[in-house]
Amino acid sequence: MVDAGTRLPAVAISGVSRRFGDADALREVSLDVEAGEIHALLGPNGAGKTTLLRIVCGLVDADHGEIRLMGVPLERLGFREHRRLIGLVPSGDRSFYLRISGLENLIFFGRLHGLSRRAASERALTCLEEVDLADAAAKRVGVYSHGMQKRLSVARAMLMEPAILLVDEATHDLDPDGAIRIRDLATGAARRGAAVLWTTQRVDEIRGFVDRLTLLHEAEVRFRGTVPQMMATSPTTTHLLQLRAHDPHADITAAARGALDGRGQLRPSGDADGEHFLLSLPDDVPLGQAVATITAAGIDVLACREEHSPIESAFLALTGGGRP
Amino acid sequence: MSATSTSAWGSFVTEVQKVPAFVRRDFLVQWSYRFAFFSDWANLGLQVVLFYFIGRLVDADRLPAFAGDRPSYVEFVAVGIAVTSVLQVGLSRVVTVTREEQLMGTLESLLMTPTVPTTVQIGSVMYDLAYVPIRTGLFLALVSAFLDVSFHLSGLLPAAVVLLAFIPVVWGLGMISAAAVFTFRKGLGFVGLFTLVLTGTSSTYFPVELFPGWLEAISRLNPITLALRATRDSLLGGTGWTGVGSTLLALVPAAVLTLTIGVMAFRAARRRERRRGTLGLY
Repeated sequence: MVDAGTRLPAVAISGVSRRFGDADALREVSLDVEAGEIHALLGPNGAGKTTLLRIVCGLVDADHGEIRLMGVPLERLGFREHRRLIGLVPSGDRSFYLRISGLENLIFFGRLHGLSRRAASERALTCLEEVDLADAAAKRVGVYSHGMQKRLSVARAMLMEPAILLVDEATHDLDPDGAIRIRDLATGAARRGAAVLWTTQRVDEIRGFVDRLTLLHEAEVRFRGTVPQMMATSPTTTHLLQLRAHDPHADITAAARGALDGRGQLRPSGDADGEHFLLSLPDDVPLGQAVATITAAGIDVLACREEHSPIESAFLALTGGGRP
Repeated sequence: MSATSTSAWGSFVTEVQKVPAFVRRDFLVQWSYRFAFFSDWANLGLQVVLFYFIGRLVDADRLPAFAGDRPSYVEFVAVGIAVTSVLQVGLSRVVTVTREEQLMGTLESLLMTPTVPTTVQIGSVMYDLAYVPIRTGLFLALVSAFLDVSFHLSGLLPAAVVLLAFIPVVWGLGMISAAAVFTFRKGLGFVGLFTLVLTGTSSTYFPVELFPGWLEAISRLNPITLALRATRDSLLGGTGWTGVGSTLLALVPAAVLTLTIGVMAFRAARRRERRRGTLGLY
């Protein structure tokens, strides 16, 4: 296990680029992950997250740039040393032998890590208990639910207590409870000193979970910092309003825009009823003031709710409006 | 012993110790398909019946003599099937291992362990290498019991040694095929064609003397032909160890050649996949 007080980042990625044919998968991407830290690699589909993870794993070569693991350049790490440093939770559902039990799968992978059969068996049982799969140890993996397979995947990644845990889109197809359990396991690994690089496209899951994040979009880093720092980049807050004019023939959009006088933007939400509008406000305009202005223009505000959380708004702004 | 050689030896031992894990995994997987397990044995019995009837059509006088003894067709082809089953395991398993792991999604997980690809290949074939001799032995026993066929028992050990020496040749061919599957994904058609050409020109099912002169000359260079000739001499002609030495000497350069090409082709295929970023994908 890594010394949490180490000065060098466990993972240091510097200026990594990679092209597939004519398309850039990664352009000059840099980030680092400290021991004991959970670092989210956030981005929409196709941003380059999995490619970066595969490069760190040594499954894909970078065109340019440098990667250091525990301070050692990737190309100078021996094959075995490299593999022992990393535990990978892959994104795919099927990364186990479905016809044999979860326990036998873990024993097999433990033995490939060089453990004796007895040691592999003991370690496998311990890991199964840690991920709450001890009761299902003897069952074939083929009958495991998605959530159970993901937890088994975490157990496999933690078999050798690696210094670096790479988690690729582990929660994208899990129910909320399953996702929480996987995040708790990653948190536990980080508390024990592992550097966790967590790729995700789910903006909602990083708040209160990760220490820092790097936002990738279209092969480039768009943001690097903490979650509060990212939220602070949100230029506007958007609310969904249900409006009804006192005069049934009035043009609500024109009337409200006139009243707001540039202190916010109002546009139809696209709903068929014609009563729902999206109101975007800059930071310095309080919502109450905007609502009062609209009401004073002869338009009732029947309902109001936040359309995007500040973190979603920041994500959308940083990725040019693309939904996560 | 230097530190480097000690370390190399230690790594070798570590890799060898991983092989039983593959055998156990494959046994458990095979055992989970019990119906397929038993239907394979039924298939074996039917094969014996099939060759009995084909044997009745074939004029034994057109078959070559081994140490002066002219065998029946069933005797001739039984040895051919026994030898080529080793070839089929070597080719199909080494190749399908990679493909199956790609399709199951386990290749990436395997590649993330500190296990060299050669261990993955050898380990994945070990179960079959243990199973095939048992299956082949049973096949020969059934043939002997029901089809009035006799083998020289003194030829069993020399034949086994020839088959053992034949494995590196097959392994090299398997690695060439695996490289093709790694690169082209749907490479099993190519492997099937490759196997058919090798067995078709090797006297597995009929003697190479039936070919036109030029093709017969090429066929005699086929390592399977060499292995088959020595095995038939031992089992059907009762020549014992005579001629085994010369066959082994002829198989060595074939093994060196196929293994060298196989290792180079497989490494090149892996490098290409890493460069393209498609390693582990199907």
